[in-house]
Formats: sequence, structure tokens, C-alpha cells
Amino acid sequence: MAARRSPCICLSVVFLAMIAVVAVSQIIVEWRQGDSPQIAELFRQKPTRANLRRLESSLESGCRIGQTVRPWMQFARFVLLEDAGDNAILGRDGWFFYRPAVQYLIEPWSPEGGQTQGNVFDAIISFRDDLAKRGIQLLVMPAPNKASVYPEMLTGRTRKETGSVNASTREILVRLKQEGVEILDLFEVYDRAKRVAGSPACYLAQDSHWSPEGMRLAAEAVANRLLDLGWIEKRATKYETRSAPVERHGDVLRMMRVPQVERLFEPQGMDCTQVVDAETGQLYADDPNSPVLVLGDSFLRIFERDEPGSGGFVAHLASNLGFGLSSIVSDGGASTLVRQQLARKPALLKDKRVVVWEFVERDLRFGTEGWQRVPLPAPDGSG
Amino acid sequence: MRHRMACICSAFLIVPLLCTSCAKKTDPGVDAQVTSLGSVEVTAELLEIPGEVRNDPLYDYAHVVKYKVLTVHRGQVDKDVIYVGQYNPAKPRDAAADARVGQIGGNLRQFRVGDVHRLAMEVPIDDYYMGGIINKYFGQTEDPVYWALWTNRVVR
Repeated sequence: MAARRSPCICLSVVFLAMIAVVAVSQIIVEWRQGDSPQIAELFRQKPTRANLRRLESSLESGCRIGQTVRPWMQFARFVLLEDAGDNAILGRDGWFFYRPAVQYLIEPWSPEGGQTQGNVFDAIISFRDDLAKRGIQLLVMPAPNKASVYPEMLTGRTRKETGSVNASTREILVRLKQEGVEILDLFEVYDRAKRVAGSPACYLAQDSHWSPEGMRLAAEAVANRLLDLGWIEKRATKYETRSAPVERHGDVLRMMRVPQVERLFEPQGMDCTQVVDAETGQLYADDPNSPVLVLGDSFLRIFERDEPGSGGFVAHLASNLGFGLSSIVSDGGASTLVRQQLARKPALLKDKRVVVWEFVERDLRFGTEGWQRVPLPAPDGSG
Repeated sequence: MRHRMACICSAFLIVPLLCTSCAKKTDPGVDAQVTSLGSVEVTAELLEIPGEVRNDPLYDYAHVVKYKVLTVHRGQVDKDVIYVGQYNPAKPRDAAADARVGQIGGNLRQFRVGDVHRLAMEVPIDDYYMGGIINKYFGQTEDPVYWALWTNRVVR
């Protein structure tokens, strides 16, 4: 009996020792850095859900042994199991997908289900109405998730459906249109583009964002819609485009934070074009006095503020319209944060006639800080 | 036997905690950056980190936290309680900067309620940082939000 218990006790001791080694080594590391042990935080604040989660996340990200071992474990999982980690999914032919966007696509959810803070319809319609009080028109443009446009690159088992494959997105767009909100449906735009044989992909293989081609199509579609609606007239500023190819790994691949995996893939080439003022030869720059304000997330940042610069959606929309635009970019924050930013600086709405609001499709469910109503100060400054 | 083992294990964890908490020297958190960057410099106690700090692998956010001002070293601060945007507070300050925000730093490694920091700041945040700002105080106060450029730990 005693002989049978010995291996159990031995294993238990080894297991506990492994846990203790991590904890004690971390305490020593923090002590040598002059900090008090982070675990002491457990006793220094109320054990609320938020505090405990913050501590857990902080312990996890700050653990030195974890930082050393984790990339190698993830590399092994990727090579052996094609497991790209908690936030990424490896698709077909070297395409990577951002897991929350896939989750959005395949998990059933309802916009009325209370899963988000606030309500998407209230937020958008009240924003439209607040702008209307100032005589400003609103054009809403959800940027499709890559997985919604290219589900066949996620798995070969997907059916080749047309348009949006997510019923909730379709339901939200239909309902917003019924409420009189002007929507630019990029799902249709990209669906048409995909049908043209040999056309470049609208999304980047290793990235969560649109490709230069997808961005150009979006800018062209928005410009055409604004002109067709008569909300704005084309002006005479001449812009030219110049080729500015870029090569880099995509954000989904980099997000894994496993250099060993990154080295398995070649950086992706991107056929970017920068927008240049034809008269001055200067790269496109925003105009704070523009009649058009563009709000959005990292879809506006890519190619525009990231390399090559002045080659993103805003610059290309300006080129199509013949005048400079104003913009507010809030990475990962186009559902609520970007409107809060606008509410803090309402002077940005001075002399505006149109607001174009872009947000990524998955934010309909997962938007940071949900879909809060963010009242704009009254036009006369009284509110 | 069990009781003795429990005592030994507890001592193993608690003694280092006690040693570290007793071994600190005072430090006003002064360095060349905190005394020169931005237009405002204060020593302040961190009162609240509202909500969860997002540590999103895809996006970087500034989180607005609440401080009680203890000493104003430079610039003008009219309130005792101020709201400060800290970029990527899940990261140590010397690892928080990236190409989008420029010069952000300091020697602070972790944000803990009750700790005292020496901060170099600008105001308002929107004039110095364009990106996601998670501000749980939005709509609750009209006070300006400061943008933390440099955050050093103060040991009293």
C-alpha cells in the first residue's frame, strides 16, 4: 500500500514544486527590480471581479518564466497542430483570421440580446439625429470581417454563398435602412469584385484589414454615393497617385507574438498607392475645414498613418472627391470611443455637411465599450 | 506533520513578501524626462483604475484613471482630483511606447491603486493622442483628461 502511494506523493510534490518555482522566481524577479510582489495586490484591494481579472491578467502577462516558455510552446502547437493561439486561426493557403471575427461569423447572437453595452440601433439612430440637428448628413459604412467576405479561405467546407453570410449583420443593415439610415453596403461591393475573374483579393492574407484594392473599392463606392445623393459636390483639387509598394507581416500573424512562427512566412507584398497633391507635390494631408468628416477605426489607419502613409481610405476618398477631408481614427474603438472623442471636440463639426462613419462588422457584437448613446453637445453650445 | 508543512509553506511565501515590503528606500521619482517633458508635472496618488484594463493583442488603448494630486511641480492644475489617460497600462512604462505615440515612458512597472506616481503630462489628451481612449468617466465629469507622457514610481 505504502509502495503504491509513493509515486502519487512524488508526483504531487513535483507538481506543487513546479507551481512554487514559478511563483517564487517571479517574486524574486520583482524584488530585484525594486517592486513589491505583484501577488500582494490580492490583499491590497477589494476582491471585485474587475480587480481580480486585472490582477490575473497582469500576473499572466508579467510572468518572466511564462514570457520565456510561452513562445516556444506556441511554436510547437503551431507546427504540430496548426494551432495559431487564442486570437488567430490559420485558414487555407497561408491566410490568417482574427478569432473574434470568426466567432462573430459562426456563433448565433442577437443584436437585441443584451450582449453589448447599449444598443446598436439606438446609438446609430441617435447619432444620425444629433448630426441632423446640425444640418449634417450621416453615411454609415460597416467594414466586413475578412471571414465574412472570404469564408472559403477559412475552410474548404464553406458553401459559396453570396453577400453577407452573417444573418445578424444582414438583419441590422436592413433594420437601419428601414429607419432611414444611409448605409453603404460593402458586402455587395466586395461580392461584385470577387466575381470578376483574376481580380486582386479585397483583404490581406495575413492581416485582419482590407487590401489596397479593397480600400480603393470602398473609397470609390463612398465617393460615388455621396455625389449621387447630392450631399456633396466634387471639387477641383487635383490629386495624383504614386506607387508605394510595402512588404510586411500582417497584424494577425504579428499578434501571435511568436517570432518563430513569423519566420515561417514571407512578409506580404502590398500594392499601395500614395495620394499626392498634383500642384504642390505634397503627400495628402487632412483639412480641418473640410465639409466631410470621416470617423472610423484601424481600417482608416492602415496605409494612411501606417506605411506607406497618405495611402489609405481617407486619402483615396479625398482624391475621388477632389478635396481634403477631416478624420478621427480610433483604433478598435469605432463603436463608441470615436463618438466620445468627437463629443469632446465638437468644434470638429463646424462647417461640416457630411459625416462618414466606418466600423468593422465584428464591433456590432464585440465593440469596445459597446454601443453607448453619446449625445453631441447642442449646436448652439447650450447643452 | 500536516500542520508543520503548512507553516513551512506559508513562511516560504510570506517571508519574501514581508522582506520586500520592508526593504524600500524613499524615491521622489525624479529623472530628466519627468522634469522636462510636457507642460504639467505632478506627484499624485492613484485613486482608481475603473473597469478592466484591456490587454488586446490587436489594439492599443489609453485608459483614463483617477489621481489625487499631492504636489504640483510644473504647470497649472486647478483640481485636487484629475483624470489621466495612461497608454497601454497593462505594460511597464518603459515598454508601453510604440511608433504611434512617440515618447511615453517612465520607471513604473505596474499600476496599483494607492501607489504614488510622479507624472509629466499634457492636456487635453485629444490634442496629443489620436486613438482608442477608454474613459469610464465619460459623461460623469467635464474635467479635462490629461495625457501621461512619463510616469515614475514614488516611494515615500
